[in-house]
Amino acid sequence: MTMTMKSKRTFFIIACLLPGLLLFCLFKVYPTFQIFQKSLYLWTGLSDKPQFIGFKNFVDLFHDETFLLSMRNTGFLMLVVPIVTIIIALINASVLTQSKLKERGFYRTVFFFPSILSFVVIAILWSFIYHPTMGFVNAGLEMFGLGDWAKPWLGDQRTVLWALAVTLIWQAAGYYMVMYMAGIDSISPELYEAADLDGASRIQQFFRITIPLLWEIIRVTIIFSINGVLSISFIIVSIMTGGGPDRHSEVVMTYLYSQAFTNSNFGYAMAIGVVVFIISMLLAFISNKLTEKGAH
Amino acid sequence: MLSTVLAGCGSSNNANNEPSPSASTAPTEAATAAPTESAAPEGTTFENPELDVAVFQGGYGREFWDSVAEEFMKDNPGTKISITASPKIAELIRPKIVAGNPPDFMYIAGSDNTPLVSGLIKDKALLDLTSVFEEATPEGAPLKEKILDGVLNSRASSPYDDGKVYLAPYNFGVMGLWYNKALFDTKGITPPKTWDEFFAANVAAKENGRALFTYQGIYPGYLEEMIVPAIYAAGGQEAMNQFFDFDPEFWKSETYKQVWGLVEKLATEDNALMKGTVALNHTQSQTAFLQGKSMFIPNGSWFEDEMKDAPREDGFKFGYLGVPAFGADTPVSALTSVETVMIPAKAKNPELAKAFLKYLYTDKAIKLNGEKAKAVMAVKGAPDLVKEYITETTYNVYKATDDGMIAVNGSFMPVAKGSKFNPSDEVYKPISSIMSKQMTLDQYSEKLYKVYSEIRKELDAAGAQ
Repeated sequence: MTMTMKSKRTFFIIACLLPGLLLFCLFKVYPTFQIFQKSLYLWTGLSDKPQFIGFKNFVDLFHDETFLLSMRNTGFLMLVVPIVTIIIALINASVLTQSKLKERGFYRTVFFFPSILSFVVIAILWSFIYHPTMGFVNAGLEMFGLGDWAKPWLGDQRTVLWALAVTLIWQAAGYYMVMYMAGIDSISPELYEAADLDGASRIQQFFRITIPLLWEIIRVTIIFSINGVLSISFIIVSIMTGGGPDRHSEVVMTYLYSQAFTNSNFGYAMAIGVVVFIISMLLAFISNKLTEKGAH
Repeated sequence: MLSTVLAGCGSSNNANNEPSPSASTAPTEAATAAPTESAAPEGTTFENPELDVAVFQGGYGREFWDSVAEEFMKDNPGTKISITASPKIAELIRPKIVAGNPPDFMYIAGSDNTPLVSGLIKDKALLDLTSVFEEATPEGAPLKEKILDGVLNSRASSPYDDGKVYLAPYNFGVMGLWYNKALFDTKGITPPKTWDEFFAANVAAKENGRALFTYQGIYPGYLEEMIVPAIYAAGGQEAMNQFFDFDPEFWKSETYKQVWGLVEKLATEDNALMKGTVALNHTQSQTAFLQGKSMFIPNGSWFEDEMKDAPREDGFKFGYLGVPAFGADTPVSALTSVETVMIPAKAKNPELAKAFLKYLYTDKAIKLNGEKAKAVMAVKGAPDLVKEYITETTYNVYKATDDGMIAVNGSFMPVAKGSKFNPSDEVYKPISSIMSKQMTLDQYSEKLYKVYSEIRKELDAAGAQ
């Protein structure tokens, strides 16, 4: 046998990797490449004769008020939702792990619950919570004599994005909380004991021990959360508001979808896809750079 | 069956209507060609006997298509129709169309699916069906005379304004305002015939503990059901052309001020618009209407069937009003719409598809459609043909247009290929802002003036190429 042990091993590894690599190329790399290519065409998404128009789709994009509005709305959600989600998740995780609450397991399950519900169910649920007359929010306000504060939350252009943000936060906070709890559980209890002996308060422990030691996990979850907003907002917006009122809750993904499938403007939609791709790459890169300092 | 196919292939250039030379099938045909009222020429065989049909399975179900296909196959032995039906039919057939292998015959309806049709129209990918409607029916007159007046030359059937039919009419729908007939009858309220009477009914609405009006909130597109007839009532066909052909001057016209003035009045008058309407979806607002929270709502002839399982106030009875007029001397109007069926230009079997299309307009198929789909086709006298199968309310809605109500229809001219504008979204979506008093009529018309000017510019540029 001329084949050495080492080359046999290499051969085996390659044989194991190849199918996965091929599938990855076929279902991830190739479609992504297609998005870039199709963004340069005038194409209804139906005919077999797309017409090459260069960068015209991109030029149009930056003169399209609806697109710019949808970018602004998406940006708002990408900023507010991850920050609030992560803060709530961190506080809850820390409280639940540090305190000696008996109902700890129960709370953990309750907070995690939204993560196992389908997004569609969540959206329908919240559109009834916000229902202007029989909804939980307005009925609650009226019960406390604050009926004047009741609003059609999803029908008012000033409140609709905040209302959607609350839904997105509610949906995600429990999931990140469980991740942080696992992280906190792996921090040695001796650190907290030592801090206790030195007279550090719970809040000091949170900022001096929990956050620094969880930093790597937090970095990853920031990127998860930003990307999560991008994809989940599509379902939530489609069901809860349809982009309304008057496009004030239109997000990039719903606009992309409507251009591709209701306006038969596939090339243009792919141009939106390319911009979204570039922006999410940039955001991931920037947040990675910004949080690098705190990492150990 | 196999022999038919082979025979067809052997005589490849034969006209399709020529009787098959195959001896094996001829006697069978003669045997089954009993006197039926079928329009299909008896004894016809087709070079390719297989037909691939894709249909929308919505409120009207799929039973009609299954049974009409069965009847067609009985009347045309040797043919084989396979039916694909789905509520999301566009999603199913889109990949086939992109691959250049579309179904032979398509019925596409429902807001999730119709965008596919506009795509096909933009691509000029539909078969010209004009000849089908020129051909004589067994009764003698050309088929086009059987179709309701004004339907074949409307933009829904003839999208390029060139007099050629690309989309064949199928079910006919009537839209307008609805009210609770039981309430009106017991309280002695008369359904309003003019917009003044409509707004005056607000007093009665208040007395009965409800708002005057609600609509399908987050889908303001439903408002076209009153806006389009109102445009016709205020400005006639000329204003309709301006509106649907993107003449920016429409947004400075008197007609605009009159019609959108109604919208503003609904938004600002006390008790006019049901609280929270803008935030509701269609099911929520329609349920609120049935529960007596609002006196009127716009919707179409499918309303009763759509909401059959929804809770309602005691004794609720559907009443159809149409759309009020501006003056007492003009009649009430209604928006009509026609669902369409079509044959893609790349269909593998256009001849059989055309034969199947003609078959749809036979009395037998129209009745079958009434029985199985509870629907009324856009054919003269269809409501009476199917009277026994549809509810009294629905029948009355259809008959209303026969009894002097003006039927209005219209659709937007197709925008230039690659345009980012979806005219219906551009026109109706900002109405949410008027309804929540966050946009004035002047801001709205300024916005739309700009949009229409741009759509025009794109069309001119596309036309010049």
